[in-house]
Amino acid sequence: MTTRPPMIEFQDVHKYYGDYHALRGITATIRAGEFFSLLGPSGCGKTTLLRTIAGFEGISSGAVMIDGKHMAHVPANKRPTNMVFQSYAIFPHLSVAENVGFGLRRDPRSAAEKIRAVDEALEMVGLKGYGNRAAHALSGGQRQRVALARALILKPKVLLLDEPLSALDKKMREQMQVELIKLQRQVGITFVLVTHDQEEALVMSDRIAVMFEGEIAQLDDPETLYRRPNSRRVADFIGVMNFLPAKVTGESNGHISIEAGGLGQVDIEAAQAPGKISGGEAWVGFRPETLTILYEGQTAMDRETPGTVEEVVYYGDMTYYDVRLDGVDRPVRISMRNVFGRPVLDIGTRTRVAWSPGALVLFR
Amino acid sequence: MKFPALRAYALFYLLFLYAPILLLPIFAFNDGTIIAFPLKDFTTKWFEQMFTTPALAQAVKNSLIIAVSSSILATTLGIFAARASTRFAFPGKAGIVGLIMLPLVLPEIIVAVSLLVVLLGLGIKLTTFTVILGHVLICTPYAIAILNTAFSSLDRSLEEAAYDLGETKWSTFRLITLPLVMPGIISSVLISFTISLDEFIIAFFLAGSEPTLPTYIFSQLRFPKQIPMIMALGTVLVLMSVILLTIAEYFRRRGIAKTGGTDTGGFL
Ligand SMILES: Nc1ncnc2c1ncn2[C@@H]1O[C@H](COP(=O)(O)OP(=O)(O)O)[C@@H](O)[C@H]1O
Ligand SMILES: [Mg+2]
Repeated sequence: MTTRPPMIEFQDVHKYYGDYHALRGITATIRAGEFFSLLGPSGCGKTTLLRTIAGFEGISSGAVMIDGKHMAHVPANKRPTNMVFQSYAIFPHLSVAENVGFGLRRDPRSAAEKIRAVDEALEMVGLKGYGNRAAHALSGGQRQRVALARALILKPKVLLLDEPLSALDKKMREQMQVELIKLQRQVGITFVLVTHDQEEALVMSDRIAVMFEGEIAQLDDPETLYRRPNSRRVADFIGVMNFLPAKVTGESNGHISIEAGGLGQVDIEAAQAPGKISGGEAWVGFRPETLTILYEGQTAMDRETPGTVEEVVYYGDMTYYDVRLDGVDRPVRISMRNVFGRPVLDIGTRTRVAWSPGALVLFR
Repeated sequence: MKFPALRAYALFYLLFLYAPILLLPIFAFNDGTIIAFPLKDFTTKWFEQMFTTPALAQAVKNSLIIAVSSSILATTLGIFAARASTRFAFPGKAGIVGLIMLPLVLPEIIVAVSLLVVLLGLGIKLTTFTVILGHVLICTPYAIAILNTAFSSLDRSLEEAAYDLGETKWSTFRLITLPLVMPGIISSVLISFTISLDEFIIAFFLAGSEPTLPTYIFSQLRFPKQIPMIMALGTVLVLMSVILLTIAEYFRRRGIAKTGGTDTGGFL
């Protein structure tokens, strides 16, 4: 994954809509064959950035390159990209086959070869035999597949997907996530997905760019993004994270000493501070699953702090506990996998909580 | 319809609106030159007379030429205006659109007189052509209103998708936009046609020596013995208008249904 050549390069891309600064200096590289996601809250500029790749949106300054070529003077219909629109944009007056084969109108191949290409594309998305259906009579999931087949039939270098799953119900969405991953591996094309759903991005992507207000806040693979978010904001947007105020008390070759909000003095590695902090006031964060409630007779591998259960939220396979640790001024959230034979704790129960300095992340 | 007073009002309103029109066919089939009850025998001779009056045939011909030309011209202009006003933001857009829509509410006599003054001032001879100009002016706002609905219920990403798949701007318009707004276009042509066909004031002022159907009818009202034939003619015209407007509304609704939009009104 690491040594693939670049497919899309953004060089300090700015975009203004009138006075509104929608993209504020995007610099990033998307590699060939990658499943890349643009993740961020609504209105942060994901769609705008995607449309600068497609060529629907001009940029105010900077450069967009696709496969090593400057795209400044290349219109959308001449770019090696195809798009799956949020609304799917299925042509309602055409049949499924006519929709899928639309991009082949200018193809010099014979009619018979084109029909074969359409059939192959339909089979690839699991719509074999649907060619003669009227496009407006399809279900949401089927429209999505038609849109995929239509965009992939031209064998673009890059497939752009703008929130393609947001209109589907939860079951269908999860199924399509898996299918999209499989499809991407099968065709080997670079996929750029826009989504506001962090779980979807984590599940599907090789790498994710988290965007806020027209800027990329962090660009990393899902695991790094989850384990080592570089700011409280990214940490908060992706999953759940507990934050406690902290003080940096010392720094020495690759190690940072901190006083972590009532948990006492701990030493962490410099890599646990991805946001590059420099002394003084800070925050430590830790994910709910890095804490463990200890049962009778269990001992902590690393650190152990007693506390009281304040809130219990039962999810079936999981239980979330809000526990007030002794010496800490706010409750922390702990997620525990439910195990047969071990009852869910009641509110008010005194417990011991195991934690590890290695799981902490330090933020400015 | 809970209130009896409201119901009575509605009934009275409809009666007032349509009773005169209902009288048209009654006297069109009445064998007598005087428009009065009691009715005499049933006859179709007034309809026959229509087909043997050369001046009437000429008026019909003029009216058809005018209605066909002005409905096509107004719709063509409407397509450009509606497309521009639903797709692009440009400075002064609201003002420009307002100006185009103005003839919709301007008294027609004002439009007619000002056109007459301008045309005479330019030294242009009054013919069917000048009537076409006037009718284009009053039909275009209707065409734009209908076509605006058609264009704005069209999902913009449909055009982008076609462009993305390698088509040019023009072939995208031809392959995607045009077929999807076609019901709106047909509806616009039919309504403009109907408006032009029975328009009187502009035709009266700008037609010169070429009568249109309405101005011909008006000129014949002076001759009492022609009145039954006018009644027959009126019957045919009412029937035609109703049919055309029904077809127009059918296409307008079908267009909205096809592009998946919601109905935001219309003229019927
Ligand atoms: N055509 C446009 N004109 C003006 N502002 C726009 C336009 N398109 C998007 N914006 C604004 O730019 C910002 C980013 O929009 P968008 O890229 O669609 O966000 P996202 O896809 O992340 O939800 C939003 O605040 C939006 O209102
Ligand atoms: Mg968006």
